Amino acid sequence: MGRDQKTTPSLQHILQQFDQCADLSRRNFPEIRVDIVYFPHLVSSKLLTDEILEPFARPQGDKIEQLLEQSQFVFQADVKKVVVGILGGSVAIFHMDQVYMLDAYGPETRSLVQSETETIITGPHDSFVESASTNLSLIRRRIKSSHLKVIRCSVGEISKTDVYILYIKGIANLEYVEELQKRIQRIEIDAINEGAMLSQFIEDNPNSVFPQFLTTERPDAAESKLEGGKIITIIDNSPTAISAPASFFEFFSSPDDYYQRWALGTALRLLRYSALLITIIFTAMYVSITTYHYEMIPEALLRTLAESRTRVPFPPVYEALLMETMIELLREAGARLPTKIGQTIGIVGGIVIGQAAVQAGLTSNILIIAVASSAIASFVIPSYMMSASIRLVRFGLIILAGIWGNMGLSMGVALLIIHLSSLTSLGSSYLSPVAPMKGTDWKDVFIRAPFALLKTRPSQTRTPNTIRQKMRK
Amino acid sequence: MRKLSAVIVLMFLLSGCKSDERILERLGMVQTSSYDLSEDQRLKVTSSIPVVNPESVSRRELLVVEADSIKEARLQFSRKTELFLVSGQLRNVLFGLNLTKAGLGNYLDTLMRDPSVALGVRVSIVDGDAGALLSKDYKQHADTGQYVDHLLEKEGGRNSIPQITLYEFSRDYNDDGIDPIAPIIKETEDHVVIEGIACFEQDRYRMKIPAADGMIFALLRGSLNQGEVALNLGEDGGRKRIVMFSSLGSQHKLKVIRSENSRFKVKISASIQGSVLEYTGSLRLQNKADRQELEKEISAKLSSEGNQMIRNLQQHHVDSLGIGQYVRNSLSYREWKSTDWNKVYPSVEIEFHPKVIIKDYGKYN
Repeated sequence: MGRDQKTTPSLQHILQQFDQCADLSRRNFPEIRVDIVYFPHLVSSKLLTDEILEPFARPQGDKIEQLLEQSQFVFQADVKKVVVGILGGSVAIFHMDQVYMLDAYGPETRSLVQSETETIITGPHDSFVESASTNLSLIRRRIKSSHLKVIRCSVGEISKTDVYILYIKGIANLEYVEELQKRIQRIEIDAINEGAMLSQFIEDNPNSVFPQFLTTERPDAAESKLEGGKIITIIDNSPTAISAPASFFEFFSSPDDYYQRWALGTALRLLRYSALLITIIFTAMYVSITTYHYEMIPEALLRTLAESRTRVPFPPVYEALLMETMIELLREAGARLPTKIGQTIGIVGGIVIGQAAVQAGLTSNILIIAVASSAIASFVIPSYMMSASIRLVRFGLIILAGIWGNMGLSMGVALLIIHLSSLTSLGSSYLSPVAPMKGTDWKDVFIRAPFALLKTRPSQTRTPNTIRQKMRK
Repeated sequence: MRKLSAVIVLMFLLSGCKSDERILERLGMVQTSSYDLSEDQRLKVTSSIPVVNPESVSRRELLVVEADSIKEARLQFSRKTELFLVSGQLRNVLFGLNLTKAGLGNYLDTLMRDPSVALGVRVSIVDGDAGALLSKDYKQHADTGQYVDHLLEKEGGRNSIPQITLYEFSRDYNDDGIDPIAPIIKETEDHVVIEGIACFEQDRYRMKIPAADGMIFALLRGSLNQGEVALNLGEDGGRKRIVMFSSLGSQHKLKVIRSENSRFKVKISASIQGSVLEYTGSLRLQNKADRQELEKEISAKLSSEGNQMIRNLQQHHVDSLGIGQYVRNSLSYREWKSTDWNKVYPSVEIEFHPKVIIKDYGKYN
């Protein structure tokens, strides 16, 4: 008997496994000697009614065996698989010592709403939600091709979260797919809750400040990445998809660049790179110039700058660090608060920092401009992850500028570039297409050239199929 | 962990670098300095420093000392002010005429040696006492130093006087075959006026070209892309004939010819284009023939004035046009070394051949 129970699953055994799971539901149909066990909140009630409740409700005697022969009912002889199936939203049907499983997964999900973190002006406004099947459908709807392949893995020793690796056969490089799959399967942890969290487990350099995989909530972005030869990873219960391999410059492009006319797209790209420069060095430069390099100040600005500094009691470094910390406090407070209170923060912060700090002589108003414009510039960067990383790096540069002036600033920038060039994403260079140099890619990286010129896929993906557009003018 | 501790150690070291810091509001940034020779043959230095304190009434602070050298003067200045004196914002140096007659070489050397003094510092000569000019307050200008600086910058941009910076001045001074020049300014009742161009022989002031002839000097010296010149073409039936030639562009060419007795002959040609903005003569400029006549007349006038200026320069032994450089370039090194240019220069035959083309002659006619 004991040995039997291990191999053939019995109702008692399953119920024993789910002991004290109050949310488990069990129903029986005595006339046909059928018991069903399932989690009602994981199961689509419509499917349950159509496939089980209705057919089973009419007593049919011997016909039940015939009914269970139907293909949607899968005979299952392994206890473990039955348990996993029930947890995965299947209905277990017990009939005469035999178990059939019906996949009726269909829990309640959030409806498709616009992405909060990656808003665009023109273009599709749907975004990924927490359900992987919805997310998969959002992609499948866009790529109607059997070449879109999906590999399913499971991550999390306890959570058993589904992870799907998507790629287009013939475009994506299979070495990357294998590498990514290997890395995902190597993860051993009790649970992973988020795509961005998953990406930290599979990154090449987990200790770097910079994200090495692009994360997106936008299905249209994911789709274009797939078509460029990248691999998309979707994790269940998270609206964040991971695109790999990624390059540093990818974080500065937005789907909007392609939906708007190319001249505008190009201007936006250039704007974002200048924002990168501003956010990294503007405040640091203020510090280094006012502390060491008074020679660099143009004559017209000299008096204003010196005048605004006269009342400030601190050296410029401390002044700058103080204000930068203040802005970060404001930003963090605004991010965690409900929108209605968030507005108050904006007003309080604007008045306290913008007005009172200068009047009280705590900071100079030129610094306020520097700090504010570098904060604004950091928000121009479309990827929140990248923008946060860069804001953090800025503090280091300010300190270096305070210690060694422009020398320190250039050292900091050099270290930053050295670090960036040492990074890899799935084994490919993070600074692609600058290092390794691939000039033809630049027209889709630093500018957004007209579509007629964007004929090839990015070189970083090492795709076997480089031609993306054959159209002649 | 080691990196982190390194960062923390650096933070503490930060307070140790005080001596290298040049925090803006604690600096006395000298913007204009003037140098004169005092009666007892000492150097009189006047420096103007902007006052940035908004509560102060005056906009600039003047420091005046007599010392034996520029740097000694700075040490003396330092005893007078609470600010840390620096010269990295120096924009303009003014030399008094008596100092320039005695020679500027030593002072130039000091200015060039100090790495914090930029090569772009403007050099100008003051007809009279430079310190007095700088010390004077002109009602309409808060800061005299800045006023002079902007005046010279604007006029230099229009080519009526050359833009002379420390770099150009010391280059021409140290190079052979050319003598330095500098704009010369003068203090009047309520303005500072540009007097003309000071011509040096080596580092000593020799002669002055009046401001009115500045354009002709510029035409002789090089190519231009902007400028204005007013010429008096004499009288015609009791009426003064003035022509104002504007939007002037000039292509400058210099040719060195050696005659058989190894004398040099230099031909300067300039092809000048411009538009006539003012003409008070009787020619009808819409007629092509009349226009060509005017062109010829202007050419002749420019040529006579230019040639006269060249004679004048030669008489004073100043090669401000850099003729020597062109001659040098036409010779081998040995030949140039064996030529005593200073002796040869006054007797070189130099001709100026301007060719004027009137591009347009105004809005309506």
